[in-house]
Amino acid sequence: MGPLVVNEIISDNTNLLLAFFIGIAFGFVLEQGGFSSSRKLAGVFYGYDTVVLKVFFTGAVTAALGLLFFSLFGWIDLSFVYVNETFLHSAILGGVIMGVGFIMGGYCPGTSFCGAAIGKIDAMVFIVGLFIGVFLFAEGYPLYEKLYKAGYMGSPRISEFFGITEGLFTLLMIIAAVLMFWGAEWAEKKFPREEY
Amino acid sequence: MKNISFTPRMLLTAGLLTLGVIIAAVPKNTTKPYKLSAKQILDELKSGTQYIEPEQVAQMLVEKDPFLQLIDTRPQNEFEKFSLPGAINVPFDAILSDEQAELFDQNVRTFVLYGNGTTQANEAWMLLRQLGYNNINVLRGGLNYWAEAILNPNPPAGITSNDDLARYNFRKGAGQALGGGEQPAGNDVKPTGGQKAPVQPPKGKKKKVAGGCS
Amino acid sequence: MSEHKKRSYMNPYLAGVLLGVVVLAANFISGRSVGSSGAVKSAIVAGVETIAPSHAENALFYKEYLSGHKGNPLNSWLVYEMLGVIIGGFLSGVISRRLTWKVEHSPKIKSRTRLIFALAGGILFGIGSQFGRGCTSGSALSGMAVLSLGGFISMISIFGTAFIFAYFFRKLWI
Repeated sequence: MGPLVVNEIISDNTNLLLAFFIGIAFGFVLEQGGFSSSRKLAGVFYGYDTVVLKVFFTGAVTAALGLLFFSLFGWIDLSFVYVNETFLHSAILGGVIMGVGFIMGGYCPGTSFCGAAIGKIDAMVFIVGLFIGVFLFAEGYPLYEKLYKAGYMGSPRISEFFGITEGLFTLLMIIAAVLMFWGAEWAEKKFPREEY
Repeated sequence: MKNISFTPRMLLTAGLLTLGVIIAAVPKNTTKPYKLSAKQILDELKSGTQYIEPEQVAQMLVEKDPFLQLIDTRPQNEFEKFSLPGAINVPFDAILSDEQAELFDQNVRTFVLYGNGTTQANEAWMLLRQLGYNNINVLRGGLNYWAEAILNPNPPAGITSNDDLARYNFRKGAGQALGGGEQPAGNDVKPTGGQKAPVQPPKGKKKKVAGGCS
Repeated sequence: MSEHKKRSYMNPYLAGVLLGVVVLAANFISGRSVGSSGAVKSAIVAGVETIAPSHAENALFYKEYLSGHKGNPLNSWLVYEMLGVIIGGFLSGVISRRLTWKVEHSPKIKSRTRLIFALAGGILFGIGSQFGRGCTSGSALSGMAVLSLGGFISMISIFGTAFIFAYFFRKLWI
């Protein structure tokens, strides 16, 4: 049955329309979760507010579980679901640069749009920065094209990488997430902050 | 909060762990779901989109179209007696074997199934379509009609339109090129005259999924 | 955790489950998941194509993008999705009465400092998201949902680096 667009149950244009609605739901949930506040987002790195960690990991494990159950019931063919390609070197480099950007800017791209939507001026400035950053990357692209394409590993799933089943890996991920949530709530009590 | 026995975190933990244990315990679903519903198959059958005309196949053979793959669904002994050039033998009862799955599971080549008539080729077509394979066609009329139309074409009788005449000429040319009449076709096929019918390039139907942030 | 300050936001676990459902829906409908930085990239390509068409034809980055994408770069899944995000965020802000013009920062710094760092952070995130082929949403969250190895690498390197550098930027936030 799913993914609907691959099996031509919906057309390409309907797909784009639904992308818009998925975006609305995505933005709504992010804002309701508190992702429109940079101090809330940055809080996870100092332990005073771990909402990012909770929402992010709950979301990831819920979606992973959901996909596996959908596949089990025959509702979705996972071989037609996009799996991100892995380019080892540039993935790590990109992650490091983004990590520094995160702690300096207090937002990531998705949340900055969300923050800008409710009038956060720092989020709007962050978005301006995003555009400049992507433009700079584009202009200098020939310099690091080799690095960008190095370490290509295909589109492996992490469960294949460790040689265990997807279900078992998901269970391990859930256990890790639950332990992190427990630690996070402990940290919030230990490093409380006043209203912001 | 202390007096309430379940915090949201505990509820979430319990729920996720339960589902996690279930998903870790059940084997991965490896059954290939049917890609087309019975109704979709019926629609395709009704509109007859699976048929490919003998003229078009002959044209592709003459041009040595690299994407054409003829599949002979008859038993092996019949295949050995006579077959169309370049055809491979996949007897009907072996159509679902693993080797055939590898053969059919692609989007590049155009497969043309044929038997003596069309019944068996159609049955094979239905199975392959249900498994989601694309570019599967059935030779209209099977070998019987092929022999009649391509190898020994009859000149149209009486007053005929130019179309009929052109078709006859094409069939005659193609028939000769493909070793018409009595001879089974050899490998050395040289193109002769004959009207060029436009050959549709095969196209993959299944979309590649795009994704990521790039 | 004092209750009064978190009252207005949804419970994070509930929000997380809903976020998971959104990602699941995106995969079920479109066979792909949410992303953000890709929309910025589309906008940049479209902008350069309009303002400097000859540059877009010659510079490698745009050439590679345009050869892999048909039609107008703005007519893409991610662009529509991000338009939705803005509207969804706005609606949520209206419902929860959070619409205010505001620069958020630690009381120890001025708004100006905050904005400079926001700009710098944005630039770095823009560059990093291109190297990483996606940001926290497109690479880390979506990647983890489909158990992609790359998604986990992105997640670990983004959050790991931010934790390591948190000490140096603590004045911005606490």
